[in-house]
Amino acid sequence: MPAQLAIGVGLMVISAVLAVGALRFPAEMGFVILGAHVYPYAVAVFLGVVGVLLSYQALTGGFRELADHTDETAKALPGGKSGAAWVTAGLVGVALLINLIGFVLAASLLFACSARGFGSRRPVRDLAIGIALTLPIYWLFNAGLGVSLPPLVNAWI
Amino acid sequence: METLANLAIGFSAALTPINLMWGFIGCLLGTAIGVLPGIGPALTVALLLPITAKVDPTGALIMFAGIYYGAQFGGSTTSILLNTPGESSSMVTALEGNLMARNGRAGPALATAAIGSFVAGTIATVLLTLFAPLVATLALKFGPAEYFAILVLSFTTVSAVLGASMLRGFASLGIGLTIGLIGLDSTSGIARYTLGVPELVDGIEVVLVAVGLFAVGEALYSLLYQKEETAGRHRLTALWMTRSDWKRSIPAWLRGTLIGFPFGSIPAGGAEIPTFLSYSTERKLSKYPQEFAASKGEGAIEGVAGPEAANNASATGSLVPLLTLGIPTSATAAILLAAFQNYNLQPGPLLFQTSGELVWTLVASLYIGNVILLVLNLPLVGLWVKLLQIPRPYLNAGILVFATIGVYGMRHSSFDLLLMLAIGWGGVLMRRFDFPVAPVIVGMLLGPMAEKQLRNALSISQGDWLVFVTQPIAASVLALTLLVLLVPHLLHARGIKLHEDD
Repeated sequence: MPAQLAIGVGLMVISAVLAVGALRFPAEMGFVILGAHVYPYAVAVFLGVVGVLLSYQALTGGFRELADHTDETAKALPGGKSGAAWVTAGLVGVALLINLIGFVLAASLLFACSARGFGSRRPVRDLAIGIALTLPIYWLFNAGLGVSLPPLVNAWI
Repeated sequence: METLANLAIGFSAALTPINLMWGFIGCLLGTAIGVLPGIGPALTVALLLPITAKVDPTGALIMFAGIYYGAQFGGSTTSILLNTPGESSSMVTALEGNLMARNGRAGPALATAAIGSFVAGTIATVLLTLFAPLVATLALKFGPAEYFAILVLSFTTVSAVLGASMLRGFASLGIGLTIGLIGLDSTSGIARYTLGVPELVDGIEVVLVAVGLFAVGEALYSLLYQKEETAGRHRLTALWMTRSDWKRSIPAWLRGTLIGFPFGSIPAGGAEIPTFLSYSTERKLSKYPQEFAASKGEGAIEGVAGPEAANNASATGSLVPLLTLGIPTSATAAILLAAFQNYNLQPGPLLFQTSGELVWTLVASLYIGNVILLVLNLPLVGLWVKLLQIPRPYLNAGILVFATIGVYGMRHSSFDLLLMLAIGWGGVLMRRFDFPVAPVIVGMLLGPMAEKQLRNALSISQGDWLVFVTQPIAASVLALTLLVLLVPHLLHARGIKLHEDD
């Protein structure tokens, strides 16, 4: 069960990072009963133990009591990977572009990419629906709720 | 008597047109997201948190409470008509109610679910009105040692009882505690585990993690591994319940309420246990056991009435620890706590004294919300069903756009959006290997609280760890925690498997 083992080992790695990180906290001033490093150590030990036990399970027949839908041999659905890639690309895109092209355009792009990921094949229509959805939201959040989203085009224009 | 007077003040504040409007919006939104698959109350409240910047606390909290309640109502509609539970706590309803719908009794099933939710919600709110002030008075006597013990109990139960495996629950909890460690330590002022990233000094927002896990993770997971449901929809039939339906429903509603409320008010990890308990109780007590799904019957109305009542009563019950102790016992309650904190309100025993009017207005709005939901739900059921016709690409794309707004709106950071995406992929991994998600949220929120109480307790006892064993309340709560670790074994032995609710 290589993937399951990887999860167990991954938790052990996080545990080690927590423990090593706690060693490097700056010294605290004054009288301290329980320093800032003690509780992180406890979390590190806890995660380490869980990681060891999960790895043990992975090596001896796999995680116990898995629900039916988590059969490890099951492959991703056909088109699932490209769909997930579209959604991921849309989210990366919105993160990188929102400060450049503004909320409405960036979010509409995300809308179109996600719709494409979920099987829509009409990008122009999706983009139009995206704009029709995000424009009122932009107005509502900025005017009504006082949450200022970046403007339609960048402020320097 | 004092309670009644307080409640009267609460009603007069809740019945203003503007607050009624917030309640109405909340109930509408809540029902809609309860009906829609892939979006739950925790996510919705998380996405709406930005409004706390503009709307006054009373209005916003009334709306959030409406969403919380409405989602329980809406979830049953989807389960009965589609056999895909909109919320996982309606799984039993999906079993029995869908069977009734298949046999031409969708109407009575919907009616008993809605009226039962109303009855249970109202009785549970009465219980909340009576008990919450008592618990708050008791909690005033709690010191840091007691709080620490209660926090440990809460995250133990949330991670041990939910999900199929206690070990994986603890893994999720550990991840949550780790996320909670990131950022400034409030006691010493040391920045911990920020990896040199300035954005991490303030810590990671609970909303970001919730949106990442629930919205992004869910969308990616459903693309990768979930076959599209093509199950046929059942026709609506007249909502009329016969005399015998009423006779069989009423005791089931009452029993469901009595099971649901106490389970909701202790940190037992959501509505699953009470709904399953209520279902098995009804099956044992029913005069018509041959109608239940297990005996290949036509669907028993008690099997819908009891669990739906239990579900709603436990949702109300979970407000008791939230309001009186400041301890959330589910992901949704955790987000509600974040909403309080946005207003610099700290739920806990003092809340009843410092913001008494707000608390009682909220309680009054729960009574009103139940009425609104009953009025909205049954006549509009046709409209709710139409919601399910939104094409899947647009529904999911819309959810992702809202997720972006929710996360970006907090502090306008592209880093946060990328972090949300990364957490979303983490959520895919968790779902793939059957790790429960709620312990992450509860752990990241309660972890820092627990650390603070631990330090305070030890400061008071001057470093003596025995304080947790010698103080009776703290000691008995910790002993209870050990007992809780045995619960999953008992459930497994009886063949009950639980899945988590968001």
